[in-house]
Amino acid sequence: MFFAQLTNELWKLFGKKRTYIGFGAFVLVQAAMLIIFRYTHWQSHFQEMLANNGYLASEYISALTVALVMVSPQALLLMPLYVALVGGDLVAKEVEDGTMRMILSRPISRVRLLSVKWLGGIIFAAVLVLALGAAALVAARILFPWKGLFVLGHLPSGSPMFGIFPAAQGLVLYSLSHLFMVTNAVTMLSIAFMFSSFNMKPAAATILALSYLFMNMVMQHIPFFEPYQNWFITHHFEAWFLIFQNPAPWPQIIQSEITLAAISTTAFIAGATGFQMRDIKS
Amino acid sequence: MIDLRQVHKKFGTRVAVHELTLAVPRGEIFGLLGHNGAGKSTTIGMMLGQVWPTRGEVKVCGHDVTTHRAQALQKVGAIFEAPAFYDYLSGQRNLEILSHYSAPTSRERIREVVEWVGLTGREQSKVRTYSHGMRARLAIAQALLPQPELLILDEPGSGLDPEGIAEMRQTIARLHRELCLTILLSSHLLGEVEQLCSRIAVLNQGRKVFEGQVADIKAGHGRVMLRTPDFAAATALLRERGIITGSLDGKYLTLSAGRTTADVAKTLVNADIRVDGIWHAEQTLEDFYLSLVKAAPPVLH
Repeated sequence: MFFAQLTNELWKLFGKKRTYIGFGAFVLVQAAMLIIFRYTHWQSHFQEMLANNGYLASEYISALTVALVMVSPQALLLMPLYVALVGGDLVAKEVEDGTMRMILSRPISRVRLLSVKWLGGIIFAAVLVLALGAAALVAARILFPWKGLFVLGHLPSGSPMFGIFPAAQGLVLYSLSHLFMVTNAVTMLSIAFMFSSFNMKPAAATILALSYLFMNMVMQHIPFFEPYQNWFITHHFEAWFLIFQNPAPWPQIIQSEITLAAISTTAFIAGATGFQMRDIKS
Repeated sequence: MIDLRQVHKKFGTRVAVHELTLAVPRGEIFGLLGHNGAGKSTTIGMMLGQVWPTRGEVKVCGHDVTTHRAQALQKVGAIFEAPAFYDYLSGQRNLEILSHYSAPTSRERIREVVEWVGLTGREQSKVRTYSHGMRARLAIAQALLPQPELLILDEPGSGLDPEGIAEMRQTIARLHRELCLTILLSSHLLGEVEQLCSRIAVLNQGRKVFEGQVADIKAGHGRVMLRTPDFAAATALLRERGIITGSLDGKYLTLSAGRTTADVAKTLVNADIRVDGIWHAEQTLEDFYLSLVKAAPPVLH
């Protein structure tokens, strides 16, 4: 029964046109970035950085490098927006539309219903992140060769990060980074899901979740809060990028992943408690 | 099948349902009447475990809904005003989704119910393409899937045209006749309730102001209609002689125990009060309902 209910939840999520509009928007942004990277000075900036460090640029301006460049801004901007939108809809939209009343005239417990919905949301978030990671890599491969991975960015501490990896290791790291990005997406979705389970409109749940994430990000970057970085959820979202550090700071990554899993679980429990206590009326 | 005892529900400081006691026995079509905001939907919400009572006991099919919701609702189907579906999915998929919240349901059972409600051939179409009547039929289908013994209908005719209302009435009667279902019907359509229900309860501002047989209401509770040029003089005389206990609206009399219309006629004729007509009044449910809700309502806080 649980599996049948979960399958139905996925039907509801993936049966909506909006789901594919969201996926489509991501793919369009990826395509735009790919074209910009290919035909502007962006690429030459990368080549210059590599050459200055004694590397042959032609070996590292590759599908993997470009795919990572395409994915990074999406993980920061588009993903929270879209995942919070879906999470905010999960419960509140059903209450608003009246389908929740139809469901709750059935002998299913509210906790079980929310568990199924949350699990459906987690699968959706995972599919979204992994599909976009794969799509970015496939799209980049069309215009760029399969060679080593060059990573250029900033660590949470603010210091620049410069990494060079052979293609095989680069692919493993690229895949792992997406698994950690799934944790980020699930946490964002869980926060929106929690608000969605309370007595509020879907849009309000989404806005509250995004506001919470934004507030974390702003406070994290205020110098006064430097010693309290671990208290900010957005600090732990950076774990996916840390794995490109050489050597990867695994204790820090694992700590962040556990923290995010705990936040997701807490959000679910808080949401389920609120939902259990409330009255569902037309 | 339904047993509510001293059920009370407050939303903040507002009392929605006040100490309601109600029993619906197996096999009955029971009508729940009341104006908007009278507490009908809240009462139904409490029966379905969607609204938590502030105090009191709500039992459905012998189980307490608050503590044993799953057992209580195992054999219950419900239809709400303006039934909501996943419009972007097919009727069949909607039925599969909703039925799996009760118990595993075979495709054969779904096909059987779709045929029963007359949606065969349209079950694969998206619900957004359904007419209002078809949505109502789909709502009946989803309620029938768990093979219910009790059907709770909250304003099922709302938004339907006269043809749709008649079809819904026939369907409810058929459900009762063919499937022997116990039905709780909440409705504003007094004519429908009068034709379908054997017993009703009337809620007014959260309080039950009446519960009884529809047949008794129609019989007018022993009221007699008197047509005479001087109703005031006639009632004064009849009261004085102990023949009636009360009068209403300048035309109805309530006879004292053991008295008949012949006693009324004889007394008035002997007193030279002209009698143009006298007969046992058959009251419509609408008259009865309006007389109940017109009575000064209690203010609840």
